[in-house]
Amino acid sequence: MRAQLRSEFAKLRSTRTILGLSAAMLGLVLLVTLLHAFSLSTTDLASRSGQVRVLVEGGELVGALFAGLLGAMSLTGEFRHGTIRPTFLVTPRRGRVIAAKTVASTLTGFVLGLMATALAAAAGTLALAARGVTVQLDSGNYVVLLVGGAAAASLWAVIGLGLGAIVRNQVAAIVGLCVWLLFIENLLVDSLPGVSRYAPGVLGRAITGQQTGTLHTPALAALLLVLYAAAAAAAGWPAITRRDVD
Amino acid sequence: MSSHAYGNNGPSSRGVVTAEPVVAVTSLTKRFGAFVAVDDLTFALEAGTVTGFLGPNGAGKTTTLRVLLGLAEPTAGRALVFGRPYQELEQPARLAGAVLESNDFHPGRSGRDHLRVLALAADIPPSRVDEVLDLVGLVAPAARQVKTYSLGMRQRLGLAAALLGEPELLVLDEPANGLDPAGVHWLRTFLRSFADRGGTVLVASHALAEVAQTVDRVLIIDGGRLVASTSLEELAGRGQTLDDAYLQLTTEAAS
Repeated sequence: MRAQLRSEFAKLRSTRTILGLSAAMLGLVLLVTLLHAFSLSTTDLASRSGQVRVLVEGGELVGALFAGLLGAMSLTGEFRHGTIRPTFLVTPRRGRVIAAKTVASTLTGFVLGLMATALAAAAGTLALAARGVTVQLDSGNYVVLLVGGAAAASLWAVIGLGLGAIVRNQVAAIVGLCVWLLFIENLLVDSLPGVSRYAPGVLGRAITGQQTGTLHTPALAALLLVLYAAAAAAAGWPAITRRDVD
Repeated sequence: MSSHAYGNNGPSSRGVVTAEPVVAVTSLTKRFGAFVAVDDLTFALEAGTVTGFLGPNGAGKTTTLRVLLGLAEPTAGRALVFGRPYQELEQPARLAGAVLESNDFHPGRSGRDHLRVLALAADIPPSRVDEVLDLVGLVAPAARQVKTYSLGMRQRLGLAAALLGEPELLVLDEPANGLDPAGVHWLRTFLRSFADRGGTVLVASHALAEVAQTVDRVLIIDGGRLVASTSLEELAGRGQTLDDAYLQLTTEAAS
């Protein structure tokens, strides 16, 4: 599988897709973080949980979304451009390709998540200071935010990969991920808060230490999100190894 | 090739196989729902031959190649490459190379990177990438993104990918599509010398004129069934051209 893994990293490095995704992600992180920091009232921003929220909304959510997109595109891009054929001709034992893509997506997703949360933490902290709010966050909060955001993104990359394996269609996978994370989960949070604690996007936020009272603890949230990622990989595996390629 | 072709012209004339065939397709059937794309197809390819795989659109040529190369599962029967299903070959790129579509590239990746990606997965040294680029005449544009390539250049890049592992079997679907006359001539010469060095070629095509000048044998399928398996010598012995045989045997003639 090491040969396939090297090939996957060469695929990532040899197009501009990852650059474009990173740039779009960082731009969106900055926008969301600054909007939150400058739109919320200073009383909302005074509390530690309010400050965590500013940093998490922009960093973790956007990081998880883009990591999910990256994971999905790792497969749907190959179906879209037809490179799946040469890929499987060279490695007809498709499990090796999927395993390599899982590892590559996990690692790349981790880096994307780290970049997103680091930018959110830096921009959010500066914005809070600019608004004259005393920053309540300690180094522990920042560590949970960064490590949790990176972990959530790496798991979301696997969820995206599994989704991509099942639907194969790039547009469907991208729209599905965006609609789920940005729309459906928000509806769940509003209408079924008890259920929404178990939704994968909300779990990603919980990993970063947000709303520790209402959401799961970071450790439990991480465990549950690992189960989601494992389920996505388990569903995606036969979808790739058993189904014909046109 | 058979030298006693005159008295024995039918598709079953090649009953005696001395060595293990490079490709052995046995009673292969592939259905998509109720549609039968390939219907009880049996043929074998021997080393050192160029075989044309002919038939009208929708005859089942591409489906057969996909099953042969492990991209699709047979409904019944089997397709073996060097005695094994393609998926079970340990280093398939070193045994078989294939071009199934003329545009299986990421448009934003350079030709060289396309080959590098495949060479890495196949454990083929990077120096071989430059060799195949040179072989197909793509050294100059190798660093350019594939989206700037003409159809002919894409065909040659696909062929370069197929040749990375110095395979003994080449499977090509419509390889002359988009090649200019010089490119077609080059491809013909290349396939001939590939087979003369002991390689085996299976080339699916519509272009009868191209095929007639390149191949030793033809397999003609129609409606998923084999309707002829013969050598060009045998056809000539019967006073038939490839065109005659093809039009007589396939439904395309009726339309």
